[in-house]
Amino acid sequence: MTFAYVFQWEIVSESAGALAHGLRLTLELSALAFALSLVLGLAVAVARLAPFRPLNVLAYVYTQVFRALSLYIYVLFIYFGIAAIFGINFGPFAAGVVALTLLNTAYMAEIYRAALLSIEPGQREAALALGLPHSRSFASVIFPQAFRTALPSLVNQLVDIVKDSSVVAVIGLLDLMGTTIDLVNNRHAPFELYTATAVTYVALILVLSALAALLERRLARHVSGGSAGGRVARLPRRRFADHPGGA
Amino acid sequence: MPELSAEPEALAGIAGGWIVVAEGIHKTFNRGHADREVRVLRGVDVSVAKGDVLVVIGPSGSGKSTLLRCINFLGPPDEGSVTFLGRTLTGAVPRFRPAERMRYERELRFFRTHIGIVFQHFNLFPHMTAADNVALGPTRALGLSRSQARERSVAELERVGMGEKANAYPSQLSGGQKQRVAIARALAMRPQLMLFDEATSALDPELIGGILEEMKRLAESGMTMIVVTHEMGFAREVGDRVVFMDEGRVVEEGPARSLIDNPQNERTQAFLSAILS
Ligand SMILES: Nc1ncnc2c1ncn2[C@@H]1O[C@H](COP(=O)(O)OP(=O)(O)OP(=O)(O)O)[C@@H](O)[C@H]1O
Ligand SMILES: [Mg+2]
Repeated sequence: MTFAYVFQWEIVSESAGALAHGLRLTLELSALAFALSLVLGLAVAVARLAPFRPLNVLAYVYTQVFRALSLYIYVLFIYFGIAAIFGINFGPFAAGVVALTLLNTAYMAEIYRAALLSIEPGQREAALALGLPHSRSFASVIFPQAFRTALPSLVNQLVDIVKDSSVVAVIGLLDLMGTTIDLVNNRHAPFELYTATAVTYVALILVLSALAALLERRLARHVSGGSAGGRVARLPRRRFADHPGGA
Repeated sequence: MPELSAEPEALAGIAGGWIVVAEGIHKTFNRGHADREVRVLRGVDVSVAKGDVLVVIGPSGSGKSTLLRCINFLGPPDEGSVTFLGRTLTGAVPRFRPAERMRYERELRFFRTHIGIVFQHFNLFPHMTAADNVALGPTRALGLSRSQARERSVAELERVGMGEKANAYPSQLSGGQKQRVAIARALAMRPQLMLFDEATSALDPELIGGILEEMKRLAESGMTMIVVTHEMGFAREVGDRVVFMDEGRVVEEGPARSLIDNPQNERTQAFLSAILS
C-alpha cells in the first residue's frame, strides 16, 4: 500500500508556539471550571441533603436538568442565547467557563452526595454527642472523610472537563482544539496537526488519571473506619464526554 | 477524676441528689406510618444519684440504646423529659421561635458536653489520630486552645493505657484499644455522667475484661454512670442499681445484687436464666 499523501510533520513543529498557547488556554479553562465546580458542587450537594425540603427539591432539579443536556448546547446557549436576550456579552472564555462549571457542578454534586451518604451515621452522632454544633460536626468530621472518599472521582471529573473543554472551539475560543482547527484551515495538514493535538490530549489525560489513581491509593488508608478495612466507596461517574456530534 | 466544679447550675442540680432523672419517656419510630410504626419506649422512668452506677439490662430490641439516646438527645424523646443537673429538657424543639430555639440549643449543648457516651462500635473518627479524636471535643465544643486540648488528650489517653498510641490512627488499633480511646474521648470532656451502650459487645472475648476493668475503675473513682450491658458479673459487682427493660418498659428495678440473684418478675427471671445459662 502506498500513500499519495506527503507527510509534512514540520508544520507541527512550526506551529508549536500557537499550539502551546492553545494548550495553556485549555489548562486555564479547565482549572478554573474545575475549581468553581468543586466549590459549587459541594454547595449543591449540601442543599440536596439539608433538612429543608424546598432546598432539596431545588438542588435535585438542578442536578437532573443540568445533566440532561450536552455541553455543546450550554456553550451555544450561553454564548449566543443569553447574549441575544439579556444583552450580556460573555467572551468565549467566560462562556466556556460558565458552561463547563454549570454542567460539572451537577456531576460533582452527585459525587459529593454519594460520598456524604457513605459516611456512617455513627460518625455524626459521635461528633454531636461531644457537643459539637451541626456545622462543626460537618466541618471537622463528616466533610473531611467525605472529601477523601470523593477526591479520586472528583479528579476523574477533571479529566472529563479537559476533554469536554474542546467544545468551546465552536464559539471561536483558541484553546488547544480551536487553535488546531484554525491551523488546519490555514496550513492544510490535518493528519499531522490532529495527531499532534490528540497525542497532547492523551498525554494530559494519562497524567491526570495517574494522579487520580495515586490519590485513591494514598487516601484509602484512613477512611471509612477500621472495620471496613479502609476501603474507598465506589462512586458513580460519568463514562463518556459529550461530543459536539452527539448533541 | 472529674468532680463537680463550682458551676452554680451544677450544684443546684444535685440538690435532690439526682444527677439525671428521665420521666415518662416515650419514643416511637416511623410515626404516622401505620404499618411500620414501632413504639420503642412506652413510658420509661429512670434516675441516677450522684456517683451511682445504673445498669440497664433487657433483651435485644427492648429499647436500651434508644433510652440512652433520649438522655443525651441524639434521638430526642417524643414525650417525657430529662432533668440533668437540675436542667430540664424535652424533645419539643421550638422550631419557629429563634430566641427560644437558641436557648434550646444552648441547653442541648450543656447536656451533650456534660454527658459522655461510649458506643458499641466505638465510632472513632478514622481520619484523625487517637490524640486528635480525644482533643476534638475540648477544642471544638469547649473552646480549649490546641495546646491545652493536646495536653488533656494525652493525659486521658495515658490514663486508659493508650499513651503510646497517641499518634496512631484508629485503623491501626485493636478493638480493645479503640474502645479505650473512645472512653478517653468521652472523659476528656470532664463529663458529669457517662453512658455506656454495650461497650464490650463488639470486642473479642479476650479484650472484654480489660474494658470492664476500665469501667470499674471509673465507677470506683466516683463517676455517675448508666451502663447497658449483657455482662451480668459486671452488673452485679459494679452496679448499684439495675433496671430490667422489656418491650419499651421498665419491668423491674432494684439493687444490683438482689435483682440479679433474686429477680421477682417472671420475665426478668426468664431473661436472666437464659443469659446466665
Ligand atoms: N432509627 C430507627 N428507626 C426505626 N426503628 C428503630 C430505629 N432505631 C431503633 N429502632 C427499633 O427500636 C427497637 C429498639 O431498639 P434499641 O436499639 O433501643 O434496642 P436495644 O434494647 O438497644 O437492643 P440491642 O440489645 O439489640 O442493642 C428495635 O426494634 C429497633 O429495630
Ligand atoms: Mg442497643
